[in-house]
Amino acid sequence: MAKKIRPDGKEKVTGRLKYLTDLAFSNMLYGKILRSPYPHARILSISTDKARQLPGVQAVITHKDVPGLNGFGIVTPDQPVLCKDIVRYVGDAVAAVAADSVETATRALELIHVQYAPLPVLDSPEKALEEGAPLLHPNGNVLHRAGFQKGDIESEFAKCAAIVEETYHVPRQLHAYMETEGGVIVPEKDGSLTVYVGTQHGFKDRFQLARILGMPEEHIRVVSSPMGGSFGGKDELNIQPYGALLALSTGKPVKIHQTRQESIRSSIKRHPMKITMKTGIDQDGRLRAHQTTIVADTGAYATLGPAILDFAVEHTSGPYMIPAVDTKGISVFTNNGVSGEFRGFGGNQVTFALEGQIDRLAAAIGMDSVEMRRLNIRREHDLGPLGQQIAETNGALDVLQSAAAVYAEKKPSSQNQDRWKRTGTGMAITMHGGGLGFGRMDPAGGRLSLKEDGKIEISFGFEEAGQGILAVIETITTEQLGCAKEDISIMIGDTSLVPSSGSTTASRGTSMVWHSLQRLKKPFLQKLLTRAARKTGTKEGQLSIGPGGIWENGECRLSFRELASEQAPIVISTQFDFPVSPDPIDSAHFLYTYSGVVAQVEVDLLTGRINVTELHQSLSAGPVVNEMGYLGQIEGGGVMALGYTLMEDVIMADGHYVTENLDSYLIPGIKDVPFNLQVKAVESLPAEDDYGPRGVGEIGTIAVAPAIANAIYDAVGLRVSQLPVKPETVLKSTEERGVLHGSQSSNSGGN
Amino acid sequence: MEANHQTAGGTETVSVSFLLNGEHIQLNVSPVMRAVDLIRGELDQTGTKISCGIGRCGACSILVNGKLAVSCLLLAYQLEGASVITIEGLSDQDEVHPIQKAFLEEGGFQCGYCTPGMVMAAKCLLDSNPEPDRQAIQEALSGNLCRCTGYGGIIRSVQCASSK
Ligand code: FES
Ligand code: FES
Repeated sequence: MAKKIRPDGKEKVTGRLKYLTDLAFSNMLYGKILRSPYPHARILSISTDKARQLPGVQAVITHKDVPGLNGFGIVTPDQPVLCKDIVRYVGDAVAAVAADSVETATRALELIHVQYAPLPVLDSPEKALEEGAPLLHPNGNVLHRAGFQKGDIESEFAKCAAIVEETYHVPRQLHAYMETEGGVIVPEKDGSLTVYVGTQHGFKDRFQLARILGMPEEHIRVVSSPMGGSFGGKDELNIQPYGALLALSTGKPVKIHQTRQESIRSSIKRHPMKITMKTGIDQDGRLRAHQTTIVADTGAYATLGPAILDFAVEHTSGPYMIPAVDTKGISVFTNNGVSGEFRGFGGNQVTFALEGQIDRLAAAIGMDSVEMRRLNIRREHDLGPLGQQIAETNGALDVLQSAAAVYAEKKPSSQNQDRWKRTGTGMAITMHGGGLGFGRMDPAGGRLSLKEDGKIEISFGFEEAGQGILAVIETITTEQLGCAKEDISIMIGDTSLVPSSGSTTASRGTSMVWHSLQRLKKPFLQKLLTRAARKTGTKEGQLSIGPGGIWENGECRLSFRELASEQAPIVISTQFDFPVSPDPIDSAHFLYTYSGVVAQVEVDLLTGRINVTELHQSLSAGPVVNEMGYLGQIEGGGVMALGYTLMEDVIMADGHYVTENLDSYLIPGIKDVPFNLQVKAVESLPAEDDYGPRGVGEIGTIAVAPAIANAIYDAVGLRVSQLPVKPETVLKSTEERGVLHGSQSSNSGGN
Repeated sequence: MEANHQTAGGTETVSVSFLLNGEHIQLNVSPVMRAVDLIRGELDQTGTKISCGIGRCGACSILVNGKLAVSCLLLAYQLEGASVITIEGLSDQDEVHPIQKAFLEEGGFQCGYCTPGMVMAAKCLLDSNPEPDRQAIQEALSGNLCRCTGYGGIIRSVQCASSK
């Protein structure tokens, strides 16, 4: 069987694909951004005279040069484009330069003289919440509070045979997309602007840029695809405003491509969180009460901080039915960079904590942890975690069964031949909401056209960041229409050419492509067939669409080119909203995906090093659209989560980055990952489900950390409550308990 | 390295000549210009990528006299007299290299940004060891980071290319 090759494949493997940071235009200038050296300071003065005089410098801009709103942020524009009075993190921009060369622009930055008066640095949520702490924003240091309560928590706790309380700490993770932020912004002759910079929502960038530039949206074209990775990190604006302002002020194309250091300093990260969970179980193994507090370090600006906290709150009890739940979350402003959107969107953090609780509770009552999960897991008709109706599937149980089978097979192999090593097996499960949630504007849409040249063009306002949306579009379109891939052309990522489809986030792309085609296909095919019938003089009923054109009696009667020729294009568009729960519960999700993960680790007792030797993921996300893409999302997501579990932490000290590049911030390399990653898709959905395939961009990252953590416990008896798990922690724990000397069997230690 | 020159701006330049994908290149460059900037900028061969700039990710990998090198740590003038192969030199318009074909068929890439470097590293491996085992693959690709694939597809691609 011929392998399905991605539409963007050939250009990628040959190096011919032009990423937006590869573009060059004649007369192009290079931009550089001056960022604050202080995590918190008052700006006393900014002097740009010397920089302006440097030969080769063509523009130097500061807050005075922002014609529109000097602020950005997907929801609340509280981040200054160019700071005027105050800087709140070390990535805050104060000035920007355009020059003939990168070197000249860099030198010019050194000639800009800014006087600062340092202010006290709030380098933790605790500090920011102290009475008398300086206020980072007019409304104080609390960005957002969220919570959820059901049942009578105290009386349920009273019925419990065991209660486990633990505080979990999860780190600040770097997206580490291989292509750092950048692109070229081109001022066009007619006064409009073309922005060739990657993002996950071109129309949203256009909206934000129009507001900053004081320019009508129609005068801005955003070309936002392809990207060398994003993972949520490029959804918020990054260098676009500076490139745009510099291009407008010089009248020339301006290229900015951040170095890795610049990228780490300015980019958003995954929210570090401190999560305290107190969970009770009765003697029959039923979860009764689950109390959680979440403290999120959201950094200096809002971006999507509120929505991420809401998501975390929703996912706190995961796929379990618990009679009493009490969750309180707070997202706090600090001077620690900016936290924002990242694959998993708050689900990763709480799932690590929840699945840690589940294993601890099972141990506390001496019950098999798989059995305990089975006893408490949600069933097809159960309500969602916020009490909302959700699309009914048996996904939770399906992935549990699938993972349990793997677990049962792998667990006995936990004997290690090497006396200095211990092997352990762990599992975890989760459910993860797709789309933006109830009450959030979540419009989608697409367009099908038969162009004059006979191509069927399918267009969406999505971006290709590597996730494979092009392959998904190709597969779904050809399957639904019945034509061949040569018959279609795909148009995405250009606000001047595509309809708005909403953001390329929240695992919504695949779903929305499928839903669009469901809506577009009938009217489109109808129009095609009507025209074909007229052209061929055949009855419509005898014609059908096939590869290459219109078919009759097993033969192609009319090519798409013939069908298109000398007539106006056939165009069908659709606009609709991502499906939401009929229950009006703010931020609640409707379409969920599920995963069950089994990890096996080998722990070196002498070095404390943890090696993940097996990683199995079972997924329930509806039918697989594109096998290779699905596999890649889950494998890649799994390894990204492996890094989160064992290696990755953007360390900050007093508001400054300690890890500045990929030499101190380590992401998994080929030696850090299991050679065989296993992915199993449980594709079944209830017969009446008409929501089609769900996206799998995030689900592969969610339950990996707790599975590895539970495997570490199984291996050496260390209860992990902090990520990443460092060798020192392992050594300290094993030494304290005498694991190395065999004075205690490895599994009996713990709390 | 040959004679030094002065440009109009008064900055010193050095002349460098080398073979890039079989084509003779001769030009004057700043003595501090990195090879990656020469290749991506002056020569507009953007298949070679730039990511960390400090030799840790392999996105900028090229072959210099058959050996794998990170072009962000090489200065342009150091290419003097060398034969340099970049990703663009691996295939012609219609035919992709067998390694590239394997990456296509086995899902050895997603965003594709690490891919040129990864393919160069794989080529370097397979040139010297046509049937690498697991350890050899891990060793040879350990300088190349990929954030998208989790390496599963990359390993399958190299295994597939090696059995051919
Ligand atoms: S850019 Fe050269 S090794 Fe990373
Ligand atoms: S394919 Fe994106 S970094 Fe490797």
